[in-house]
Amino acid sequence: MRVPFSFLPIPPDSAFPNRDEIKRPIVALLIANGNRQTVIFCVVDSGADLCVFPASLANRLGIELSQDKASAFSGSGETTQMACFEEVQATILPMDGPNIDPGQEPLTFPLYAGFCDTLEHVGMGLLGQEGFFSRFTVNFRNAESFFEIL
Amino acid sequence: MKPIDLTTVLKDAPQGEWLALSFSLDRIVAHSPNLSDAEEAAHQLGEKMPIMMKAPPLHALIL
Repeated sequence: MRVPFSFLPIPPDSAFPNRDEIKRPIVALLIANGNRQTVIFCVVDSGADLCVFPASLANRLGIELSQDKASAFSGSGETTQMACFEEVQATILPMDGPNIDPGQEPLTFPLYAGFCDTLEHVGMGLLGQEGFFSRFTVNFRNAESFFEIL
Repeated sequence: MKPIDLTTVLKDAPQGEWLALSFSLDRIVAHSPNLSDAEEAAHQLGEKMPIMMKAPPLHALIL
């Protein structure tokens, strides 16, 4: 599957005074728990160890998070964060856009997904190494504004 | 390949709220502080498969 990068708005700051957008590798991921499902944007993040999502998505999918399946992690700060994990079914949906082959098939796979409150402010999922990169070959072609998931 | 430009549709997105984007990514169908409420509202407005995201925070970089 070929997916175009997405431009998102971002305000300029003192380090990047001329910047007003940023290019990210994003996919539309359908996450299902039984007959409940939601599509959420996810960043394909090779620097993330795991696949994690905002906790409110678990609530939407009817998943009761258990401390029996909790795991600690951290981002760039020192603060330890907790994610609770559950099995879901994930499907990468072909993105719509110019120059994209309309015949691309969705990619469905089982995913042991983490849900955490601290990802709420990001408002997207992160597809990391265990569960995503461990399953697919991903070729980033940033200069050409697309990436491949094989 | 031409990238997907979300800058226009997200330009005036309410900060800190969940957005339900049309699957064609050309408009915000509904928004709410609550993910479920935003998605339900989008369904009621006829969007069968909205794409959910939160309005990008001002410090939108992810490390």
